[in-house]
Amino acid sequence: MLSQKPGVPVSFDKVQKSYGAVRVLEELNLQVQPGEFLVLLGASGSGKTTALRILSGLETATEGRVRIGDRDVTDVLPKYRDISMVFQSYALYPHKTVGENIGFPLKVRKVNPVEREVAVREAAAQVQLDQLLHRYPRELSGGQRQRVALARAIIRRPSVFLMDEPLSNLDAKLRGHMRAELKHMQQSLGITTIYVTHDQIEAMTLAHRVAILEKGVLQQLDAPAKIYNDPANLFVAQFIGSPPMNIVKGALEGGHFMAQDAKVLVSVKGKIEKAVLGVRPEDCTITSAAKGSLKGTIYTTELIGDHTLVTLKVGSDYLAVKAAKDYTARSGDIVGVAFAKDQLYVFDASDGKRIR
Amino acid sequence: MSDASFKFDKTNRSLMERLFEAPAIGKMSPVAKLVAYSVLIFWSIYVIFPIYWVLITAFKDATTVNGGPFYIPFVDFQPNLDAWRTMLSADPFCDGYAIFRQFGLLIHNAFAFIVSPLVHIDKMEPQICKVYLAFTNSVVIGVASTFLCVTIGSMAAYALARIEYKPKFGNIVIFVILTLMVILVTSYVGIKWYVTSAVALALFYLLARFFGKRFKAKLGNSDVLFWIISQRILPPIVVIIPVYMMFQAVSLLDTHLGLIIIYAVANLPIVVWLMHDFFAGLPIELEESAQLDGATRFGIFWDIVLPLTRPGLAAVTLLTLILNWNEYLFAVFLTTSKAITMPIMVAAKNAGERGTLWWEMCAVIVVMIIPVIFAAIILQRFIAKGVLLGAVKG
Repeated sequence: MLSQKPGVPVSFDKVQKSYGAVRVLEELNLQVQPGEFLVLLGASGSGKTTALRILSGLETATEGRVRIGDRDVTDVLPKYRDISMVFQSYALYPHKTVGENIGFPLKVRKVNPVEREVAVREAAAQVQLDQLLHRYPRELSGGQRQRVALARAIIRRPSVFLMDEPLSNLDAKLRGHMRAELKHMQQSLGITTIYVTHDQIEAMTLAHRVAILEKGVLQQLDAPAKIYNDPANLFVAQFIGSPPMNIVKGALEGGHFMAQDAKVLVSVKGKIEKAVLGVRPEDCTITSAAKGSLKGTIYTTELIGDHTLVTLKVGSDYLAVKAAKDYTARSGDIVGVAFAKDQLYVFDASDGKRIR
Repeated sequence: MSDASFKFDKTNRSLMERLFEAPAIGKMSPVAKLVAYSVLIFWSIYVIFPIYWVLITAFKDATTVNGGPFYIPFVDFQPNLDAWRTMLSADPFCDGYAIFRQFGLLIHNAFAFIVSPLVHIDKMEPQICKVYLAFTNSVVIGVASTFLCVTIGSMAAYALARIEYKPKFGNIVIFVILTLMVILVTSYVGIKWYVTSAVALALFYLLARFFGKRFKAKLGNSDVLFWIISQRILPPIVVIIPVYMMFQAVSLLDTHLGLIIIYAVANLPIVVWLMHDFFAGLPIELEESAQLDGATRFGIFWDIVLPLTRPGLAAVTLLTLILNWNEYLFAVFLTTSKAITMPIMVAAKNAGERGTLWWEMCAVIVVMIIPVIFAAIILQRFIAKGVLLGAVKG
């Protein structure tokens, strides 16, 4: 069993990256705690992979400093940064056996063969690969290849793990399983981990803290529960959650949110001409047409299993509501929707900022 | 049975349908088969017959060659070993051990050449037995130039595939001007070539350093690549006289080293061009991963990239080897007696007082073909597919 190693902090200090005139990463400031599992979450083109590659040294920052532990590594070659990385494509060496693949980082660092052999066995045992050391990558399944890549990353006991969408090439069932293993491994090793993904479920389940990036800008950095329950802006609110948060356009007046023919009591005050009301599908309940804050017609009902997802048409917008699993209604029925008052979010429509 | 299903019943198809329609997916219709195999058979005969003809002519003599076309040995004519006897044992040096002596001599002379600045070792003179001389020369020159060419070419191709170069246009102009000046000063003022070259290199370094920053126009990797391949567009016959003069100036005429250099240079564009594609096709994650794992740039090239491009490397090596082995133009201009190669031997049988000695020529050709066949068989094992399987994705 590999022993624990004290975690190392990582920090981005005003890091920027541009390709010519295109700026892919705007002034990123980020402090990662020792031993933390930090997930960089964003859609493609959000700059999350660029941030990771700058930390790995495969890209250089246009401006700003990167620190690992108490070292400034901004201008340090990747191999001297004491990091290891798992790629989305695994990047296994196809002409080397599993054992040779796992032992490669030690081989290039001139660790003697006996020690290397012991380390390879230990790392392989950690990911249940000890029976496959003599196979070639082409003879392995997707999940096994993923484990080889993990074993190759942990064998060197780096200060920091970098993972670039490591699970996205696996099928759904295996992904769930590997996610659990990854989390367990990170906890038992205690190594600071930076994990890039576009999958919000991976982010919510794995992370100590999630950093949401969009168009090169850090939108919010918080624990998963805080991100979900207290989104900083409209982008974060809509990005997290499945199905995404419902949006109603209207205006904020006094303590009320005014939409077409609805008036909803909200917990924020102020006056904004163009505002957006956000409410999560599970915070809506379907009532009779006379009650409720909004009126809508049933568009579809889908039985998911533990609940029924009801889609309503309100004006020209659609509203998703999580109803009880035995809920039934005909398409075209007119119903009302009630909101839980303390679970409503109001955003400024012009810049997407949360109104508190 | 309805009309619709009638059509699809195999037993009820018309003659035309049976002839022109494939019986199943992945199979050919009878007519297509006939056409395909006719073309293949014709092509095979077209390719194999000349080789067969060379092979049987090597066992003919003056009478059977001149007496009219005889096609089948032991039926049309009685084969004999006259041509082989003339080739292998006509002159006194051509005994069974001559070829080993010849290789020994080449190794001795190569060693003498390498240590010549330190110790003086007398060179051995080549044997009279010309076939052995030409054969060993061909082997040494072919292998050495191929090795040189593939080594330098693949490294250049890798660099062009992975590193972004931005040569300044102004620096290139400076380089061309300096090269012209080297040629002028060497030819007309009479200063030694190594002096002028050294001075020009130093000048280039200084000029590029001080003025390079001011130049704006840049070229990219694709321009460099095109410039390299463009050297192959020029036919060798155009440059042969300048090359001859240059070789004369640096005393490389009729030497192994001279031919090795010119062959390597001539085929470098092909190697760079072909290998560039192989390298560019490798997933870059493998190299990035190796970089993070701690490998050096050369270590990555040697341990990761080269094994993965082995099929390409084998194909390019074979191609270069064959080109070098068969090369005639440079050899005929740049060699006289010591460094002659097999193609020269073949051509030599063409001109003489006795006319073309077809049977002797064919015997030489047979000797010349055999090593290439072996090389092809050995290298072909590496030209296998699926090396990259399992590298990325599932």
